[in-house]
Amino acid sequence: MIMNSFNDILKAAKHSGARRIVIPSPAREDIDVLSRAAASGLVIPRFIGETKSLKAIAGKSPLFPAGAEIISADDPQDALNLAIEQLKKGETDILMQGGINPQVLLDTLQDKSTGLKTSRTISYVSLFQHFSKDKLMLVTDTFCNNFPHVAEKQGILENALNLARTLGMEAPKVAVLAAIEQVNPAIASTLDAAILSKMSDRGQFGKATVEGPLDIDCAVSRAAAERKGLHSIVTGDVDIYVVPEIDTGYLFAESLAFFGKMRSAGVVLGTSSPVIINLPFISADDKAVEIALACLMCRKGKNHG
Amino acid sequence: MTMIRKLGDFAKLAREKGPKKMVVLAPEDNDFMMAIKKSHELGYIEPILAGDKKRIAEAAQKVDFNIGSFRKISEEDKQSISDLGIRMLFSGETPIAGKGQIPTSYIYRSIIREEAKANSGMTVSVVSLWEVPGIDHLIAFTDTGVSIKPNMKAKKEIIQNAVFVFHLLGYTRPKIAVLSGQREVGGTMASYRDYEALKIEADEGKFGDCEIVPATSFTEIFLAGKKRTGDEKNVRKDCVPHILIVPCLDTGNIICKLDFFLNVKRSSLVATSRGPVCIPSRSDKSHNLVEQISMGVVLADHMERKKKVQK
Repeated sequence: MIMNSFNDILKAAKHSGARRIVIPSPAREDIDVLSRAAASGLVIPRFIGETKSLKAIAGKSPLFPAGAEIISADDPQDALNLAIEQLKKGETDILMQGGINPQVLLDTLQDKSTGLKTSRTISYVSLFQHFSKDKLMLVTDTFCNNFPHVAEKQGILENALNLARTLGMEAPKVAVLAAIEQVNPAIASTLDAAILSKMSDRGQFGKATVEGPLDIDCAVSRAAAERKGLHSIVTGDVDIYVVPEIDTGYLFAESLAFFGKMRSAGVVLGTSSPVIINLPFISADDKAVEIALACLMCRKGKNHG
Repeated sequence: MTMIRKLGDFAKLAREKGPKKMVVLAPEDNDFMMAIKKSHELGYIEPILAGDKKRIAEAAQKVDFNIGSFRKISEEDKQSISDLGIRMLFSGETPIAGKGQIPTSYIYRSIIREEAKANSGMTVSVVSLWEVPGIDHLIAFTDTGVSIKPNMKAKKEIIQNAVFVFHLLGYTRPKIAVLSGQREVGGTMASYRDYEALKIEADEGKFGDCEIVPATSFTEIFLAGKKRTGDEKNVRKDCVPHILIVPCLDTGNIICKLDFFLNVKRSSLVATSRGPVCIPSRSDKSHNLVEQISMGVVLADHMERKKKVQK
């Protein structure tokens, strides 16, 4: 069944049963978020870090989850390495950033031997709950890759399609965004978009319609697209927006969050286990949605997006 | 001069300041001709219609617009229409020009030539103004139309053009954010280095009366170090800068046209050294076009007054 809201995601994740989540060097607010997620049956947390202070927090917090484990590690890097080891062994399912520096985290993930790297591109998807209708929108890549070339964009799109299908979108509609809807050799983003769109025409993305290049007016408004003579089932009903590069991706995601007042969540994809990282424009409430999202991705076992 | 805080303010002012002569370049589409008709009826403009005579007459007839009394200039080649219209603006014959069914790049080409001839030092950039509920002033994204990947030199000129527009709108010391996708990962972005360099120059007063704020993302602008909460109580709208310099064309164009989706209103124009040029997008509807024309009329009026004061 298709999930159309953050509540649908939470419900579906709860229904699928609790997952084990590991978090290195957690901050106080991480523990609060995970305590609530554990209480609602989403996850069983495993905290790795300085045992003494973690136990002190556990002792004081009435919410501290009963089944949670506390494992000792000397410093954040050790905690992270231990967490990744456990994920690789299959002892836990999901990784949360915790107190790890985000660049250190990404660098560690990317490492083929010690990280969670697979043959897929590692990317980040932002998920938005539409402000006026029952609909979820995916925007990617909004965090991990600065200036992906077309092969990486293919990977970024495949990751997003995986997530979209997990959310029940059977034939996702994709807009590959650029400044204009015409292919213009002077604007590199329009070339990449045209290539992805052609790959989709050839069935290389499975059941999906990838339209590009699309400018934002054509993407969000069927009427605007028709005025420009562009006819496509994607216009006015986009499930996945693929952005040209990070300047656009990050600022576009923030625009939806602040000018659009839309709730936002996200997850790292392309790793062998789902990874939740801290983005500054995601509220603590929606952190629970990210955990739920990661739980749903686990359902797909080793083949998660 | 009072500060113009809403796009709707332009309509009222345009009625007071109009009608102004506006050379209209290739008005061959119904929506666009309808906008010219309404703008004329509202007393904003007295159009001079330049382009293919037959097509102009057809479009006028379709929207029931009697163009008998207006001056017409017959020309079929699109670049020539653009050239002659922009020349009229620069020679002072008309205070405003408006683009119809001509590729925008032709207009930019004409403007660049005329600016070079006039030795004005101004380049071409597009300023897209937004009116956002809860923000008590206009905000502008720029450059949203010309430079694909502006370098430092281009960004300086983009800032100067936008500051020029905001001074005309009555903002004595506009605040500017140089936007970037800079975040905690991915090293230092080129767009962020541009911010750092431009901030130093702005602090030295190189861009005149304006200020570059120490924020490059909307998170910094709206949350100022606080955390986002479910009830949005930490989102502050009282410190939003007036001018937002976008890193590149893709970013600017994609974000500024979010008015097709979000609850914001947009109006775009090119400010040349001699007067505004309205450059509606091919997907804009006629009511939006009328608003853009009213903005052109008001800016033209403010430019004329400024010139008189300087004399």
